[in-house]
Amino acid sequence: MSPMYVQRSNSITAVKGLVAAIAVGFLVLLPSATILNAQTAESDAPRAWDGHPDLNGVWQAIGTANWDLEDHPASGGHPDLGAIGAVPPGQGVVVGGAIPYQDSALEQRQQNWENRPAGDPEAKCYFPGVPRATYLPHPFQIIQGDKKIMMVYGFAETSRTIHMDKDNPERAPIDSWMGRSHGHWDGDTLVVDASGFTGEAWFDRAGNFASNNLTVVERYTPMGSHAIMYEATLEDPTVFTRPWQIRMPLYRRLEDNARVLEFKCVEFSEDLLYGHLLREPTR
Amino acid sequence: MNRKTAISAYVIAVAGVIAAPGMARAADYHHVHVTASSPSEAVRWYSEYLDCQPVADRRDAADCDGTELVFVVQPTMGSTQGTGVNHISFSYEDLTTKMAALEAVGVRGSGVRLQRFDDGSTLRDIPGLFKIGFIFDPWGTRIEMVEDEEYLGFHHVHLSAADPEATLAFYRDVMGGEPASLRGQIDGLLFGDVWLLASEHGEGTPATTGGRAIDHIGFVVDDLTAAATEYRNHDVVFETEPAVPEGGRTQAQRAFLRGPDNVRLAVVETGFAGVVTERAAEATGADAEPYDAPATPWGEPDLQGVWTGNSAHGIPLERPDDSAATESLTAEQAEARRERGTLGSIWGYEREWRDTTLGYVKTAPSTQVAMVVDPPSGRIPALTAEGEVMAARAAESRASYTQRPAAGPEDLTPYVRCITRGLPGLMMPSIYNNGLQITQGPGFVTIQKEMVHETRVIPTDPRERVGENVKTWLGDPQGRWEGDTLVIETTNFNGLASYRGSSSDMTLIERYTRIGPSSLQYSFTVDDPTVWTRPWTGQFNFDLDDEQYELVEYACHEGNYGMTNILSGARAQEAAEAEAPGR
Repeated sequence: MSPMYVQRSNSITAVKGLVAAIAVGFLVLLPSATILNAQTAESDAPRAWDGHPDLNGVWQAIGTANWDLEDHPASGGHPDLGAIGAVPPGQGVVVGGAIPYQDSALEQRQQNWENRPAGDPEAKCYFPGVPRATYLPHPFQIIQGDKKIMMVYGFAETSRTIHMDKDNPERAPIDSWMGRSHGHWDGDTLVVDASGFTGEAWFDRAGNFASNNLTVVERYTPMGSHAIMYEATLEDPTVFTRPWQIRMPLYRRLEDNARVLEFKCVEFSEDLLYGHLLREPTR
Repeated sequence: MNRKTAISAYVIAVAGVIAAPGMARAADYHHVHVTASSPSEAVRWYSEYLDCQPVADRRDAADCDGTELVFVVQPTMGSTQGTGVNHISFSYEDLTTKMAALEAVGVRGSGVRLQRFDDGSTLRDIPGLFKIGFIFDPWGTRIEMVEDEEYLGFHHVHLSAADPEATLAFYRDVMGGEPASLRGQIDGLLFGDVWLLASEHGEGTPATTGGRAIDHIGFVVDDLTAAATEYRNHDVVFETEPAVPEGGRTQAQRAFLRGPDNVRLAVVETGFAGVVTERAAEATGADAEPYDAPATPWGEPDLQGVWTGNSAHGIPLERPDDSAATESLTAEQAEARRERGTLGSIWGYEREWRDTTLGYVKTAPSTQVAMVVDPPSGRIPALTAEGEVMAARAAESRASYTQRPAAGPEDLTPYVRCITRGLPGLMMPSIYNNGLQITQGPGFVTIQKEMVHETRVIPTDPRERVGENVKTWLGDPQGRWEGDTLVIETTNFNGLASYRGSSSDMTLIERYTRIGPSSLQYSFTVDDPTVWTRPWTGQFNFDLDDEQYELVEYACHEGNYGMTNILSGARAQEAAEAEAPGR
């Protein structure tokens, strides 16, 4: 038991005392030898108990990456939805402009484009995959501890466990939508290696995609207290001609009591998926 | 091997005439090592259905006509089929009656699965031989049933060999089997009055038996040291040298050999009585010593790790009527209870599902009688008048779903729809994917349940509740630390994933307390005055399983073929009924 944790509170009102005790503990700990990178801590980003940047909080991407990672003009959507369904225009987040697809993969993307929106895993409430989970138009929360960093996304009840305690990255036991993620610190940047994907996820509503050979290296670099620069390098020798990168800031949700609300979207996808099998078919 | 090739094993006699016995030291069958997730349940199964006898002072062995079946817990990597030992066999005077009796048992629980021939029958009369049929034990061992009145009881071990003639020659020359012809039809070997038969393996090299439903075949000799010298003269490969094994019940030696076709063989000395391999259950009762939980580096109690609810699987929520005065179950009873719960849910679970196919070993089952600890009766309290009305309505709607095909997903439970098991339902132990990963950051605890991949984010500092209209499936949680216990109070449920009739008015109070280095006590209090006349509390433990267990992604909705099949089946049923004459 840590010496600073001596208060045993029995009611919710005593929790404040505990929080104060922890805060004091934090100040006491700060100069200790266990702090990493203290000398290189130039930015004004908040610091965690161990001296690394503190990424705890609720974050969200702003922009149109989830509609299309590449440059795109405004375009119409489903006529019933009027302007609500329209695609807002956006400047691409792909460094260098275009995704370097191999010729054969361009055909697949074209098919995906033609099958949207119904073919989009987002419409079906499927796991969004990496990196898409980061820039869905929904907030996500980072819970940063000592062994794991959790990223919890409201959409489809998705989460990622970033293993910070594995010296030797382990191969994913089986492929999964969200893959397996190992993290480490490079100065003030959290670097996450993710792989072991199913290859079924899309990167956006435009049908950009990769295969199950995809590997993603993400970099989360604090830009002051309220923003993180997010960069992801994507590599897939079966789909792309070379590794490529996306880059966008993530913003802290600053509202009082900001939180990631449960967005269990399965029930909203059931008509799309099973409408043709209902007693009164809708499709 | 499919049914047809199984039969052809009998029709195609092993070619070649086996030469006269060599210089072998005669061995006899001693045991067949069978993998079972519950040895005591396996002893019961073989005693009840195949007339073996329990062995005195042994929980892990049954005596089948002088040959022991030894049951050992290990992660099963698949049934016998595909390995060098295809099946074992039992003989009965009246197989027709026997198979009818086994068919009547049914497959539920630790039942009996019969293999049917193409015409749907379970028996076939092989000309010149006798009647045969096939069954499976609940753990993946294939068993041939024969009607051979000359050799009753444990009848034969049937090998699947790349070269049956060479394989039988090995067992003749090295193990001392006596060449003989079964009914003049099949050349084999006799060890005492039990046959060894070999058929040609259909596809390539047989898979190794090690770790499969039949791990190895055991032979007994008087003097293993002398026998080992002979084995070496035959260039036999030793997997384990002769020695008294760790945990051996007697001083008899044992060695492991690699037989032909990747079949593992044990050779033991007379007097060998197996080894003690039982895993000790951690003491987690009320009298366990108070435990000082470790702290996170930032000074909160540390609950982090991967835990599993496997030991709690099988504990009923309420105290059964017949155990009113029982303090706790015996280890054997607990094992049998979990086993029946497992097998009652999904047949063949232990060999088909990921927990064991990824090599996990389950923690010992809990001996707790029931989850409900308050009221002390172990029974959920009486319903309120409104609760009665709600329960009747729920029963009625359940009945309508089960009595007619589902119109759409809404007629099925949120669990079948892959939405959620609700609270506290999602915390409950189940047949598989029982992982619970707890991670922490300052002021937050995340609780991830593997099935169906939900991650709850619990703030431990007070914060504003969400508005009353933001009702959700899993509600709005507020955590706090009481000493080393994490207490979570959750409200704002949408009430659609009801637990035993709970409503949207439920306040759920959960308490997580580390009570040992690898034991996490979980208690849940359901306070729902709309439904019950008083709050009630259940409790069970999770076990730290960090070393071997990792949660895998439970992509339930993404792989919900069940929903498509249920609905398309429902439509087909309705179409068939509409077309049926007289309707």
